[in-house]
Amino acid sequence: MALLELKNVSHIYHSEQGETEALRDISFSVEREEFVAIVGPSGCGKSTILSLLAGLLKQSSGSILLDGKPIEETPTATSLMPQRDQLFEWRNIKNNVLLGPEIMRNKTPEIIAYADRLLEKYGLIDFAKKKPSELSGGMRQRASLIRTLVTSPELLLLDEPFSALDFQTRINVCDDVSRIIKEEKRTAILVTHDINEAISMSDKIIVLSKRPAHVKRIFNIELDKSLPPIKRREQKSFPIYFKMIWKELEDYDE
Amino acid sequence: MSEEHVQYLKKQKIRKLVIRIIQIGLLIFLFGLWELSAELGWIDPFITSSPSRVVKSIIELTRTGELFKHIGATLWETVVSFLLSTVLGTLIAIVFWWNSLARAVSEPYLVVLNALPKIALGPIIIIWVGAGASAIITMALLISLIITIISMLSGFLSVDKEKIELMRAMGANKWQILVKLVIPYNIPTLLSVLKINVGLSWVGTIMGEYMVSREGIGYLLVYGSQIFKLDLVMASTIMLCILATLMYLIISLIEKLIRKFF
Repeated sequence: MALLELKNVSHIYHSEQGETEALRDISFSVEREEFVAIVGPSGCGKSTILSLLAGLLKQSSGSILLDGKPIEETPTATSLMPQRDQLFEWRNIKNNVLLGPEIMRNKTPEIIAYADRLLEKYGLIDFAKKKPSELSGGMRQRASLIRTLVTSPELLLLDEPFSALDFQTRINVCDDVSRIIKEEKRTAILVTHDINEAISMSDKIIVLSKRPAHVKRIFNIELDKSLPPIKRREQKSFPIYFKMIWKELEDYDE
Repeated sequence: MSEEHVQYLKKQKIRKLVIRIIQIGLLIFLFGLWELSAELGWIDPFITSSPSRVVKSIIELTRTGELFKHIGATLWETVVSFLLSTVLGTLIAIVFWWNSLARAVSEPYLVVLNALPKIALGPIIIIWVGAGASAIITMALLISLIITIISMLSGFLSVDKEKIELMRAMGANKWQILVKLVIPYNIPTLLSVLKINVGLSWVGTIMGEYMVSREGIGYLLVYGSQIFKLDLVMASTIMLCILATLMYLIISLIEKLIRKFF
């Protein structure tokens, strides 16, 4: 059984100006330990899907099942990695990483030890007592990812987490994130508008239409999964995937 | 360190020293000129007073013990109204942050109260709370309360939406968002409000003392001018300069301490 299952999910926003149909009849599934990217034209409603999965919004119709249960019954099963790191400047790195358990009133010695292990493993243990402003952009993203991992969520939700980084840092952070998620055997959904990033990191890419977003096509990416994203970019079939997805996004005026 | 850099640092140091010397020199020069003009009869010390007469006047006040009574009264009123307006204003801002209905309802009232010159409420305050320290504190409180509410609230509402969403996705309730995000995020706002309020509290206290009091530096100023004792007026003004500066320095020190932790 798939870990995550969206069936005919629609969402409508209400405001004084009127109502906006953001999502129309979205269905897809995500397997355990799969890395799925969602791409689509900007403003199409990609982030709305993440908001639904994070429990920030409730879909207008359709069902979202996580592990067979409606997602609103398992509020802490997903964990969000936001655009930009959103680390709290007044907390040191370790206390930033432990924000989730603190809020869930679940800061057990085991979780603290797990946080230490993650910080150690991914090269941040020497910075545990430092403030976020003392870290480089790449390190801050790693801290943000560890904050996402530390609650042991079933599903990671990555909301364009690299968009604020410069190109070189971005490539390196992609590699880091991809490696860490694989090593920790996590399932992840990445929302991005960068096709290259999506192909280099994911097993599956869901292409959305412009608003109201519906699923146009789902690509299975058959690149070597053992390679890091930067090496996957060099594989022969990489540009072919790029062309196919580009084409799919191009004629969204049908 | 290169020779060039050593020279540069030396130059900067000398420049700072020169500025400080000119500052102090200017002060001595102005006071000296004032004293000399009064001494030589270029100006009439009955109207302008003079530094020596100011010092005499302060010594006289100290000897009778009146100085400490007046300074004590003014300091007490200023500190109480400063603390009250900061604490009360922040608490009210928290209520408005918490409850968007209360915020929307109160908006026009805040606009009107903010625009109103608070000194106009003087007569009403005296009738309602009586002519004494409580009227002075109420006046000073009113002057800084509204601006505290408005500044703190706009700080609270400017917190990154993404940070709030991150916490909500972790399952945070409103109280947790307030204590773990909104308040620590607004420590810099609070610090700037403290600095504004310390000045406004002085304005409110002196104004209040003009209206009602029988003690305090504001009272000395009014009393001195009424009996045409300019020595007393000048002495009060100089003491006020010193006190207000000291209080500002204390707030700056507190600010430095807090910034170390945030």
